[in-house]
Amino acid sequence: MTFAGSTLLAAGRALPMLETDDKGYITSDPIFAPWGEFIPAALASLIVFLLLYKYAGPIIKKSFRDRTAGIQKQLDDSAAAKVAAEAEATRIREAKGDIDAERARLYAEADAQAEALLADGRARLETEMAELEARAEADISAAAGRSTDELRLEIAKYSGAAVDRIVAGTLDDAAQQELIEGFIARVGAGTGVAS
Amino acid sequence: MSDALIEGYARALFEVARAEGTLDEVEDELFRFARSYESSDALRAALTDEHVPADKRQAIVEDLLDGKATPTSVQLISMVVGSGRSRDLPAIIDSLVQRASSAKQLDLAEVRTAVPLTDDQQARLKAALENATGKSLNLKTIVDPSVVGGVVATIGDVVIDDTVRTRIDQLKSRL
Repeated sequence: MTFAGSTLLAAGRALPMLETDDKGYITSDPIFAPWGEFIPAALASLIVFLLLYKYAGPIIKKSFRDRTAGIQKQLDDSAAAKVAAEAEATRIREAKGDIDAERARLYAEADAQAEALLADGRARLETEMAELEARAEADISAAAGRSTDELRLEIAKYSGAAVDRIVAGTLDDAAQQELIEGFIARVGAGTGVAS
Repeated sequence: MSDALIEGYARALFEVARAEGTLDEVEDELFRFARSYESSDALRAALTDEHVPADKRQAIVEDLLDGKATPTSVQLISMVVGSGRSRDLPAIIDSLVQRASSAKQLDLAEVRTAVPLTDDQQARLKAALENATGKSLNLKTIVDPSVVGGVVATIGDVVIDDTVRTRIDQLKSRL
């Protein structure tokens, strides 16, 4: 409140101080001080206000400014932090995007490798199966050939035994003599014998 | 046995037979005995068994040849068996026969047949072989059932084979 304001208020309040009661006694205002006290007090207050204004005012102003500056600084810091946080968030989002892309790339690469392995395994399996089939066919052919050879040998063996028996049964004494005479005749003639 | 030892025994037998004047008979009998020895497992086992005493083995020979061979032949074979040379008996006898043939200026002709040859057949066969080879031959015949039929003649390195066995073998090999 300014000094002029205080003065007007005091003047406004001075009227009741002169009020007289029903018995003619002049009574003091229970709220406002009497003028004799009011004026010195007002002056003293004025002096105190002036002193406060002169000496404490700059300090208070400075403190307000400092506080304002501090708050502003805090606001600036907050804004900067917000910017930094947004930048960090952006970086994180980018990193997340990179991670997603990397994950997708790794998945794709793994899929490709798995597909290649699968294809290679299929190809190798088919090759091995073809080789096994070829070997089995060769074994079967060889076994068939062996069986044929063994059968041929068996036939030859039994045929030989049969020939032995048949010839031995056929060669009676007359046949023996005929063979001997034939040998003598051929040797004598110098023909028809193995040597 | 070494060849020298075989030759030594063969020379000794030859000289004894020649001294006895029975070289032809002894040579022939020993040759037949050697072939029998080769073809008979039982005879070979009996004469080569180390656990049988020598006099027992000699008794086997004498019993076997009693009345079938000249005493000289029996004694010579018995002598070889008694000296523990039974395993070399065929080689000794073959050497003796070869030596006898050489002494007579003859080449040895070994003839194998499935059945025995008659004297006439032997004579004609000998003549035929001499005619075919151009050599004078000392014919030795062997009855060998394994030839089945026909004749095979061996004169030195020459073999004239017309046996049924050979034909059967050829047929088997073709089979």
